[in-house]
Amino acid sequence: MKKLFVLLVVALMGLGMAQDGPILVGVNLELSGRMAVTGNDTLYGIQVAHDEISEVLGRPVELSVCDNASTVQGSVACANRFVDEGVVGVLGSYSSSHSIPAAEVLQDAGIVMISTGSTNPATTQIGDYIFRIPYTDQFQGRVAAQYASEDVGAQRVAIFRQQDDDYSVGLAGFFQEAFEEMGGETTVVDFTANTVDFSAQISNLRAFNPDMIYFTGFCAEAASLVPQLRRQGFTQPILGGDASDDSQCPEGGGEAFDGFTFTSFGGPEILEGEAGERAAEFVEAFEQQFPDATVTGFTLSGADAYYVLMEAIERAGSTDPQEVRDALASLEGFPGVSGEITYVGTDGTPANRVMGLFRYDVSGDDWEKTVIRGISLN
Amino acid sequence: MPWLVAAVLIALVVWRMAYLHQVNPAFDVAFFGGAFLRSFQLGSLYALIALGYTMVYGIIRLINFAHGEVFMVGAFVAYFIFSRTPYTWPWAVLVSVLVAVGFMYVLGFWRGRLTDPLVLTGGALAFLASTLALRSAEYGWFWALVSSMFVTGVVGVLIDKVAYRPLRGAPRNSMLITAIAVSFFLQNFGILAFTNRQTPFRPDSFWTGFLQFNVPGGTLFTTWMVVLVPLVTAVLVIALTLFVTRTRLGRAMRATAQDAETAQMMGVNVDRVIATTFLLGSMLAAAAGVMWGMTFGSINQPAIFGILPGIKAFAAAVIGGIGSLPGAVIGGVLLGFMENFLTSLFPRTASFPGITEYKDTFAFLLLIVILLVKPSGIVGEDLSEKV
Repeated sequence: MKKLFVLLVVALMGLGMAQDGPILVGVNLELSGRMAVTGNDTLYGIQVAHDEISEVLGRPVELSVCDNASTVQGSVACANRFVDEGVVGVLGSYSSSHSIPAAEVLQDAGIVMISTGSTNPATTQIGDYIFRIPYTDQFQGRVAAQYASEDVGAQRVAIFRQQDDDYSVGLAGFFQEAFEEMGGETTVVDFTANTVDFSAQISNLRAFNPDMIYFTGFCAEAASLVPQLRRQGFTQPILGGDASDDSQCPEGGGEAFDGFTFTSFGGPEILEGEAGERAAEFVEAFEQQFPDATVTGFTLSGADAYYVLMEAIERAGSTDPQEVRDALASLEGFPGVSGEITYVGTDGTPANRVMGLFRYDVSGDDWEKTVIRGISLN
Repeated sequence: MPWLVAAVLIALVVWRMAYLHQVNPAFDVAFFGGAFLRSFQLGSLYALIALGYTMVYGIIRLINFAHGEVFMVGAFVAYFIFSRTPYTWPWAVLVSVLVAVGFMYVLGFWRGRLTDPLVLTGGALAFLASTLALRSAEYGWFWALVSSMFVTGVVGVLIDKVAYRPLRGAPRNSMLITAIAVSFFLQNFGILAFTNRQTPFRPDSFWTGFLQFNVPGGTLFTTWMVVLVPLVTAVLVIALTLFVTRTRLGRAMRATAQDAETAQMMGVNVDRVIATTFLLGSMLAAAAGVMWGMTFGSINQPAIFGILPGIKAFAAAVIGGIGSLPGAVIGGVLLGFMENFLTSLFPRTASFPGITEYKDTFAFLLLIVILLVKPSGIVGEDLSEKV
């Protein structure tokens, strides 16, 4: 009889725990491997946001951080882990190649996922539970093509494309389409992940004789490619996508990156008015907490993914997945640190995102990221 | 007959070059000259790594899968050395101890025992020189190369001592699996010690700096590395050959390679011979790692840095005939040419997609062809030439 009583008490306590216990939020990021730097930048952003809002609906929020080791298998394993843990929502991952397979798992399980970095249009088209913070590559490719043809005045562009990555192939395709529409000529040079020796690709490029080089891959390869381009006498301007917003580029490649231009997410330098103040405030809080880390567009994106999810839980008033999803989909004009976020009437890609054009200035071991200008989606 | 094949091949290459030049004038003498030089450079690096595979295989019949990771350790040790100069005292002393131990090990083999006065003096001098060099601000590629070779050599000997020596009498498969384990251990150790990210590698602006000169029919873009790499490789290969053919220990190595048991009965200290093999192989891999970093300007994450070069150098050793020293060099250079020069004969043109993107495939294509035609490798037939 006494045993039964104890059992009852324990069971009741367990029930109580389930209701007042922490709300679990999954974080699926590239914390090791070739995209580790950006993955960690994003995680720091999420952590700062988590410190700011650590409670929702009167319950503490707990992050379940999963390292996908910059691999597709790792990302799927993380998604499966989150399904088992019963998280309310998942933040991440950074790259499109890892976001898409995770999104398929989470869509089937009916768990909200907010990608912090995926720009490939396919990600949010997987289902109604999948959202993202950035713009899509359709926009980014068009902006890059416009910059190439109008600002640089290029006629012939060589596109370096990482064959085995959804983001890189997608961005290269959208750029090519837009740039050829504007009357330019392009050639595509393929490489695979972890390529170090680009000498053959580069010397073959000489026959095409480009005015500009567009790099759509990641810094793990760009850090080898760009110095080799310069050494082989290619002095043409180089433009990169938002994956170049990674300290591995100027640190790994050194002075060859001086003048390297790239498109990336809007930060405090680009956002105007209230949004800019919010972003500046966040950056200040961030620098206090992580004095050694750098703030990139992905840091802000990670923070916004967290804020948006908290707002949705708050509005839903419960952690029921269906209700959280509906609250998220009806979000309009949410004041994020990377600009306003509106999901009403979209497929999960926020409307009216702000994009920036940046440049690396490198001299010796010092480097800085300079804003050239902000670009609005309209 | 081989001469006829060679003549036909050369004629084909020349015809192809002339054809490409006709299609697009940008494919000129400088274009193919650059590809030729780079092939030789890359081939030299493969050759240096392949020597380690071939020596270990020649002595204990082990495919040392951890050799690619030894190559990684060599590059990262050099990076660690030159990026931190001038060192703080504790680091300078620690690295100097390793350099001195490596130096004494080499000298000790020569003199017979480690307590020999000459060996002790040499070790002390190496320690002093290394400490002074590490404490001074200027520490160029040459010292980084030499120190990394000694430190990595010690690492190689330690690997043998910890992982392979306890398994000497065990079936060969056990050693093979241990080698894979060592490889994973070193990868993860590398991540812990050096962080898993792209790392700059520019110790010297003279050799790695941008260089262009005019040749009849175009401008050749390159760096002085195309001269330095084959040069250093040649010096090291000649030193190794002299060591193997002229010294007592070298003779002992050749004897052990032929028949370890008989050699032991004749008074050869087999364990010491094997340790020497690991020492020399690791030193060559370290040299390759340092020059690899200088050639490409940055080094990958430790988790993957050694994998592809290691596997390709292994292929080179098999192509040349595993167990044979000249075979490793020939195989390495041949692979460099397959990968760089041959793919440059099939560039992307308006009508052809180009095969440079798939150049990694050619290393293994060549491996398959050689294994079909001549399974023992190009110069691997003569069993008496093992080591």
